[in-house]
Amino acid sequence: MPESDEGFLLDRLIHEPGRLAILTVLSSVADADFVFLQRTTGLTKGNLSSHLTKLEDAGLVTVEKRFVRKKPNTNVALTKDGAERVARHWDQLERLRSLSQANPETLP
Amino acid sequence: MDRRGIETAVAENAQFRGLFGVVGGLLAILAALGNAAWGPLRHNWVFVVGVIVLAGLTWPIHAFYTDRFGRATPSVKHRARVAVVVLVAVPLVILGSLWLSSRASWSLDLPVNTTAITLGLVFLLSIAAAVGLRLHHVVIYGGLVIVGALPVWERGGESGNTGLWLAGIAMIISGLLDHRLLVRRFGPAGTGIGADRAGV
Repeated sequence: MPESDEGFLLDRLIHEPGRLAILTVLSSVADADFVFLQRTTGLTKGNLSSHLTKLEDAGLVTVEKRFVRKKPNTNVALTKDGAERVARHWDQLERLRSLSQANPETLP
Repeated sequence: MDRRGIETAVAENAQFRGLFGVVGGLLAILAALGNAAWGPLRHNWVFVVGVIVLAGLTWPIHAFYTDRFGRATPSVKHRARVAVVVLVAVPLVILGSLWLSSRASWSLDLPVNTTAITLGLVFLLSIAAAVGLRLHHVVIYGGLVIVGALPVWERGGESGNTGLWLAGIAMIISGLLDHRLLVRRFGPAGTGIGADRAGV
């Protein structure tokens, strides 16, 4: 649920560092498999799996399980909603950063 | 958390799969040996077999990287950027190299190694566009350009072949360093490496 504070919308689902890292990785590629996400974010298998379940339940990513060269492979991609929300979230963080650098006392 | 750090990690994991560069370097050296008709490579079919063997090597390398470091499909934006480099920069570099050393009246007709210069610049541009240059790329491929630009080369013939040799060696060294960087940064957990990776 987004949280509003004087014009800043911080999406708690996305703001968690592990999930933000996953979504940012996925926003840089068309799609990626589980191993690529694990290596690039540095998350453990359990953590990554748990975050992906939450993101999939929220409709931010699609998770496709398939076989590649007879091995199970989990492929993940951002949904349109996920792409918009992670882009908006980074914009908000950038705005907060700019504001704090311009005048730290005006921060909520 | 740093957005740019994560995006850089994505590019590095996808692009620094340096063993492919080693194969590319071996191909360049094979081509140079073929041009020189060295040993069995005086027969064209030996060169073709060599190319097939090297092409076959890319399959286990692909499997190794996919199993250990995963697989990602590049974004449309990334593919467009690479296409622009190929369609614009590469022809420019090749025309520039002709301008440097061709014997046509419009050229500078300099005694430089255009093969080394061209390949060095193509690698520098393509790596810069794909993932961003690292120090070893600048040193290796910049060095290739500088060595090629020294006005000590004879025109044509052996000079071009030596350029291929140099480019092949540069690709192998750069590929090994890319691979080392990849393993150190994204190596599997439990190996004692890669613990400080990515942007989390």
